[in-house]
Amino acid sequence: MAFLTGAKRWQVAIAAVATLFVMAGAARAQWLSLPLPGTPRTPDGKPNLTAPAPKTPDGKPDLSGIWHAADNRFVENLAGEGVDVPMLPAAAALYKHRQETLGQDKPQLHCLPHGVPDAMLVSMIPFKIVQTPRETIVLYEEFNQYRQIFTDGRALPEDPNPAWFGYSVGKWDGDTFVVEVAGFKEGTWLDNGGHPHTEALHITERYRRPNFGNLELDVAINDPGAYPKPWKAVTIHFKLLPDTELLEHLCENERDAGHLGFK
Amino acid sequence: MRTTLAVCVAAVGLLLSAEPAVSHHAFTAEFDSAKSMKVTGTVTKFEWTNPHAWFYIDIKDDNGTVTNWGFEMNSPNMLLRNGWTRNSLKAGDVITVEAFGARDGSHIGNAKSVTLTSTGQKLLAAPNQNQ
Repeated sequence: MAFLTGAKRWQVAIAAVATLFVMAGAARAQWLSLPLPGTPRTPDGKPNLTAPAPKTPDGKPDLSGIWHAADNRFVENLAGEGVDVPMLPAAAALYKHRQETLGQDKPQLHCLPHGVPDAMLVSMIPFKIVQTPRETIVLYEEFNQYRQIFTDGRALPEDPNPAWFGYSVGKWDGDTFVVEVAGFKEGTWLDNGGHPHTEALHITERYRRPNFGNLELDVAINDPGAYPKPWKAVTIHFKLLPDTELLEHLCENERDAGHLGFK
Repeated sequence: MRTTLAVCVAAVGLLLSAEPAVSHHAFTAEFDSAKSMKVTGTVTKFEWTNPHAWFYIDIKDDNGTVTNWGFEMNSPNMLLRNGWTRNSLKAGDVITVEAFGARDGSHIGNAKSVTLTSTGQKLLAAPNQNQ
């Protein structure tokens, strides 16, 4: 604000205070709306989503924040609309079955995890990235699930106990956060459309934060048990959800089966 | 005193701008985005539960026959972000529901919006996906 004149500076200050009062008034029992510190703001007090991406003390981009998919375009097909990914026969048969049955046996129907990267694809379901020096933690609001991406230099575990979200290690390639994920339990779906995988799945995620309000992700799928060759998903775009917090979301019960029989 | 509630199941096959994304399960497995419906009735129950909130209404047709319908919505968190609270509906409230009907024709729907007759307040049940 050093470049502003005295009068202008007062206008900005008054606008900022007024905004805080409005936000406080809007706050309900939860922290649905509250001004978070560290958020760059425009003169009217709103979050400045086009401001530069924040940096950590060591100069790396800080991916921390609450994010949601910019749209639902890739929920059904991670490869992009209308793109057919070549599959090995068993995977192709499984995918066909999932498509024909309209996803009736997907894991989340039984309160089981979405998996990687499916857990991030639905625009209405946010996730929070907490970046620390030795690990980056991803908190998925739906079903209160998390991933730990270790950045302390460790290697991926060899022959680990298969896990729903696999095991993740990350490192920086310039301003891109590159995450290697392996050790998956068979059974999650890569997307809502049902792209399958085996325990041989190895995913490479490349995250970039071009500015304060945007995050991009490229996903490369390598699973010789399901696909004849590695393939890449379309770039997934996420938007920041500013001035809010995640809310608890436990899958209390899957009641839909009962509801569907409701008369 | 008897109140006649209008029951209006709107035209089938409307071109809809957006299908609600029900992340937790397949919307298309249960509901039909081509079956658009608009009904008015009296709330009998409101379940504020994960992974989906549900409410039920009694709908009376022109002959006085009452039928209980159930409507699925998104998770309470999505609804909270859209202005709902667990107290938004209570038994006895008269509401108008815009929804997608069930694929199999059963008395359920996937709610798009709820309008309270007493106040005129309209609550969206499926948040804007392109926010």
